[in-house]
Parts: sequence; structure tokens; C-alpha cells
Amino acid sequence: MNRGRRNLLLRRTVQLFCLGGFVWLFLQTEYRGLDELPYPVSLLFRLDPLAALADLLAPGPFSWSLWPALLLLVLTAFFGRFFCGWICPLGTTLDGCGKLTGRGSHLTNRNWRKLKYLLLFGMTAAALGGVQLLGLFDPLAIFLRSLTLSIYPAYNLLLNGLFDWGYQHDLPLLSSLYPLFRDNLMAFFQPSYTLGLFTLFVFLTILLLERVERRFWCKNLCPLGALLGLCSSHALLKRVPDGLCVDCSICASECRMDVVAKEGQRNGECIACLDCTDYCPQERARFVFKGGTRRQAHVDIGRRDLLLSVSAGAMIAPVGRIAPDSYKLNPYLLRPPGAVAEDEFLRRCVRCGECMKVCIGQALHPALLEAGATGLWTPLLVARLGYCEFNCTLCGQVCPTGAIKLLPVELKRKTIIGLAVFDRNRCLPFARGEECLVCEEHCPTPEKAIVFDEKSVDFGGEMRTLKVPRVVTELCIGCGICETKCPLDGVSAIRVINEIETRRPQSLQRESSPYG
Amino acid sequence: MTDLNRRQFIRSALHSALAVGTLPVVDLLALPAHAATAPQVALRTGKDYSLLVEQTLSALGGIENFVGRGDRVVVKPNIGWDRTPEQAANTHPEVVKAVIEHCLQAGAKQVQVFDNTCNDPRRCYVQSGIQDAVKSLRSDRAKIGHMDRYGYQDIAIEQGRELDRWKFYQPALDADKFINIPVAKDHSSTTLSLAMKNIMGVIGGNRGRLHRRIDEAVADINLVVHSDLSIIDATRILLRNGPQGGRLEDVERRDTLIASADIVAADSMAAGLFNLQPDDISTVVAGARRGLGVMDLGKVQRV
Repeated sequence: MNRGRRNLLLRRTVQLFCLGGFVWLFLQTEYRGLDELPYPVSLLFRLDPLAALADLLAPGPFSWSLWPALLLLVLTAFFGRFFCGWICPLGTTLDGCGKLTGRGSHLTNRNWRKLKYLLLFGMTAAALGGVQLLGLFDPLAIFLRSLTLSIYPAYNLLLNGLFDWGYQHDLPLLSSLYPLFRDNLMAFFQPSYTLGLFTLFVFLTILLLERVERRFWCKNLCPLGALLGLCSSHALLKRVPDGLCVDCSICASECRMDVVAKEGQRNGECIACLDCTDYCPQERARFVFKGGTRRQAHVDIGRRDLLLSVSAGAMIAPVGRIAPDSYKLNPYLLRPPGAVAEDEFLRRCVRCGECMKVCIGQALHPALLEAGATGLWTPLLVARLGYCEFNCTLCGQVCPTGAIKLLPVELKRKTIIGLAVFDRNRCLPFARGEECLVCEEHCPTPEKAIVFDEKSVDFGGEMRTLKVPRVVTELCIGCGICETKCPLDGVSAIRVINEIETRRPQSLQRESSPYG
Repeated sequence: MTDLNRRQFIRSALHSALAVGTLPVVDLLALPAHAATAPQVALRTGKDYSLLVEQTLSALGGIENFVGRGDRVVVKPNIGWDRTPEQAANTHPEVVKAVIEHCLQAGAKQVQVFDNTCNDPRRCYVQSGIQDAVKSLRSDRAKIGHMDRYGYQDIAIEQGRELDRWKFYQPALDADKFINIPVAKDHSSTTLSLAMKNIMGVIGGNRGRLHRRIDEAVADINLVVHSDLSIIDATRILLRNGPQGGRLEDVERRDTLIASADIVAADSMAAGLFNLQPDDISTVVAGARRGLGVMDLGKVQRV
């Protein structure tokens, strides 16, 4: 095997290993009997410079748990965009699925390369002004939330179908594999999320852009690629020769990142995939450590475009922020326990989907417009679909940017997500004169926040003695189990609203929180 | 489905008949349950729970009276809540463990443990200590597992008052012997949650619906799932704030077990732990009226 082949094999092995590692960590993002997750499941985002950028631009202190992202930036300054070529799970997916989708053979307009920079600058300007959209275009967030919201649920459905089929057709070999899969490779409950299809659509679009040209997303759109590109334009690890050779121009058509051109080589675009060391017919291409380059070229962003994107971002910020307060617009807007105040939350959350994956009660779902236009894919607690488990702190454990604070369980149990409110037009004892009390039974606070009064009720002329439930406002933490378990069909007769939530600044609360 | 229901129905009629020592009578409602010989009820106290289980069972003639060699047994504790053993919302893990050990010693082919929990099943199984207790037996005949979502069968309840059909967990119906080991605790809807109420852990569906007329509904499901032996765990009892609890000041240590083949008699006896009479508990009253057993403590035989 020649040097080039060896390089290729090495890179593909590392890519698969990293992808496998991230998928393995993804599978561990689930309660398996321990209150504390034993693995750093959100490693992908601790490595993510865009998450670090969002965190840096958000109010409040920087989350130093994101130090690996800073390390990545430093490494990029020396070794170039190796992350894109070797580690990024979306990049690996694109490389891997290219054969399936078909790869575009011609190169698009070179001017498109600057889009990713414009996107990055525009979003950074917006984030500086208080509207953080980085998570929407962060490739790692796209990868993980597609996995969480679409691919993993579908995978579980298909596997369950397969095992059912094996069971029905008496295939013991298949059935004997079931416990292994059930305990290690499948979700405990079939996951389902509100934006599954929409998220998949975005993911497939990025995949299908491969048909236009290879790594279309990475070359033209990826803001993380842009950020790493900026860091790597003077990287020491360089490809030689530093441009097209006079007697050969295979690099111009073969390089997946369109790095090498007549006018020189754009180091900020090179992802060190080492392909050229393989396809170079003269075996001239290799990577060496050296200083300045003779024929260094750059993506020409253009002063006018740069100004335009920064101003657009700077415009988006105030307009986004003067939108009506989402908690007023949507009283059912609930966030996970430990979520910081809404404004800071939107600026910290990178929409990675880790919290939705780990939520034991399947209570967290991605927002479409429920949290305003800038809240897309942020986690909502949808209490009719699932509730916040009293003794669980998993979402705070996985959040990489501190949008959801890690709370000790004692504190989490006192953190108010909202307030449960009865709808007396629906609730059985009120509306139909029937016994129920399911909400009271499930209320988890040691001193129950739902109590009942035994009352004689005149029901259409008939006196009935009924246990009539009542919420004790001072004790309710808004976990939503009452709303989840309410036995009525359709809308629950008790619903959690975001009144008195702990995270809202005290000045905005109408009543002070009972827990201070 | 109907076939299975009939089988269950006849079997439960048979069991009741055997318990009162008469010929099998298929019409349960016509069966005068508190006729003939009085059901035996054992009440024992002791601080060593393994020993306590042993003493309670031997008062009833030993586990061999209930479990035979080769039987497939279901042991049904209450694992309903994400609470620790000292919080008294679930059956004590040591009691569960000791009961399973006795079943294994009696030659049971298989002992299955499960419950349809209210909180997340994984958390309940861990936090209750019951998963670890069963696993610590290291027996391949004793298994604790989560309810399989395909395991539920829609079954007609021919004598049902509140429910005429409901989803039941098939493995509970298929067992040769069903041993019901609830924890004794306060309950907002049923005053107390005891053995009859514990059967709600082997049914599926929207269980909250049963609350509308819970006493009759609980009697209905007990007609389908017959408990061959009920062992009520009152090692510590939840006096208030049930069925979930969460405050240690609501818990009282009693170091007591109550056991009987008659589920109504066992529940009636357990009412006394809370200074209540059997007829204070509407499920007990409904159970006795529906022929599930004897609630008059004057007509039970204390052993």
C-alpha cells in the first residue's frame, strides 16, 4: 500500500471511530439506573467552538466546562481544519452518504464559499446584540438534534417492528438478540417528538446538497467551518505544493474542498483530508509543517458583503428582542427545571437536543414558534406528553452551555417550573360530580401541592359527597405530572402555566416564590 | 380472549370454593363467601424481616401450601413510586426477597416480579431497592423485569360492575400462582391501599379512569386476577399523605406482616393497623359483597 492509500485508510478509520464514539455517547444519554450519568455524554458540544461562542456572548459567566472547544481552536491554529476532515460527525456522515445520495461532479460558483463566513459574522453580530442563532446552523447541533428527534425514534420503531416480526414468526435467533438490543442499543420508551419530521427534512436537505457538489454544506454554509477556517488560515501544517502544478491540474477537480486553484491555495478551506496525497499521480502532494506560503490565497469575502452581513445581524438583534415577551404570549411556555431566565436561556441554548434526548419522562420537546421566532428547536416542557420526574436532574447534567443549570437534587425539587391550575369546566368532581383525585395521588412534593376537600356538592339537585381537589400555590413546583396523568381524553383538566416560575427575574414575578 | 377469561373465571371460582371448602360454584356472586370454614389470617411481628416472613408463612402451614414444585409464580410487590424503602410507598425489598426465596425453596420453576409503576419504571425499580434485592438472589429462576408493552390483553369482565372489559397483563394471568405482597399505606381515594388495590399494578390502560368508582373497579379487576396468597407488608406503614408519601414523619415502623389466602380477610385485618374498621375501607366492603372474601373479622380464624 502506498503512502496515499495509507493516509486515506487512517483518516477514514479515525472518522468512523469518532462517529462511532459520538453515537455511543448518544446512546449513553439515557437513564440506566444511576442518578448521575457516568459518561461525559455532551462531549461533542464541549468541543464545539460555536457553543463556546454562544456561551461567551451570552450574559453571565463563561462556562469553563467548554475548555475543550478553546483547545480545539488552538489546535486548529496549528493543524488547520482537521476537525472538519477527521472528527466532525456531520462531515463524516456527508462523506459516508455521498455514494448513496450521489455526488455532484462540478464545482459551484466559488463566490458561494464566502456564504459561511457571512453567516458566521452575521450571527455573531446578532448574538452580540442579544439574539443567538448560532445553534440553528451549528453542524454539531444539526447532527445531534437530527439523531435525537428523527433518526433515533425511527430506528427504534423499525427495530421494534423487526423484533415483533421475529417474535410472531417464531425466529428464536432474532428474538434472542432482543435483550441485548433492548438493554444497550434501544430506548426504554419509543421516543417521539413534536418536530421529528421537520428536523429530518433539514437534515436530508443538507445530505442531498451533496448532489450539487461534495461537502456542499462544509464548503459554503457551515459557520463552524468558517470559524475554524479563520483560525487555520496561517496553520503550520500545510499541503505542498502550494497551488496547482504547471503540468497537472487534477487537484482543481478532485479536491473535495476546492482548496487548490490556479491563483494559489486557500489554507482556510483545507480540511486536511489527505485525499490529494492519494490521487496525486506524481505523488507530489504531501503535508508538512512550515511557515508562510508563497501562493496563499483566501476566500474573498468582500468588504461590502461583510458589512452587509454584520449590519443584517445587528438589525436582527433589536428586532428579535423587541418581540412580545413569550411568557406573556404563551402562558404554557415551560422550560426544563434549572433553565435560566428566558432572555439568557435563548442566548445560551445551542439547540443541541441533549436535554430532549436524556429527559426520562419524554417531557421535553423542540419548540417551533411557541417560544417566539428565535426560539426554534429550544426545549419546551410539554406537560400533557410527559412530566418532570421529581428526583431526576439529568437535563442539567447534559446541557453543555449552562442554559439549564446543573442543580443538586434537593434544589431541583424546589425549582418551580410553573403552577398547576384546574379547569373546573373539565375536572370531573367539578364538572360531572364524579370522584377522581388522580392528580392528587401523583403529586410528588412531600407535602402535597394538590390536596382535596371533602365537600357536599349540589349536583343538579342531588347532593353528593365528593373529594374536591385544590392546588396549594405555595407548594406547587409545576412538574406537570398532574397534567400528564389526568385521565380525561384530550386537554387535561389541570394544566401547568408559567406563573411563579423560579427562573423569571423577581421583578417580573407577580408573587414571590415560596422558596425564596 | 373470552376463552381465557372463562378459564380465569372458573379458576378463581375454584380457588374461592376451595378456600371455603365447598364444591366449585361457577357463579361467584351466588357464592356465600363467608359461609363454611373461616379463612385463616396470620399476623406476625418481628424486626428481622427474613425471619418474619418465615414465621408468617409457617403460621399458614408454610409456603408449600401455596406453591408447588414446578409452579410458575408471580410475586407482585408494590413498586409504584420513585421512593426509598424507608419512605414506605413501596413494598420493603427484604420482604420481597424473603418471599421469593421461599418460593424458590418450595421448588417454583420460575418466579417473576413486576409492577406497572406510576413514576418512571426504571427509577422505581432502582429506588425501591427491589431490583437489587431480586438480583442479589442470583437465581436464574427469579426474574425482575419491566412490563412488556405487548403483554397486555383486553379481557372481558363478565361480572364487572364498573368495568366490563379492561387490559390485563398476561404474565400475571398465566402464572400458576399469584402472590400479592402490597405495602400497607394511606390512600386518598381508597382510604387505604392494601392487597386488593395492589392488583392495579397488573393492569394496563388509562388507570386513572378507575378512580371514578374505584371500589367497584378494584373488585372487578380482582375477579380476574386472583391472589393465591396475600402478604401485606406493614414493616413500616404510611399513615398520611399516601399513596406516594415522601416525608418520614408520615411513616411509622410496625415490623408487621399480615398474610392470608383470603384477600379481603387480609385487607380487613390490615385496616386495624390504621385504627380503622374493615367497613371503613370501601374496596374491602365491595370485595366482600362481590364474593372475593370475608371482611367480618369475627369470622376469620387467626393463626
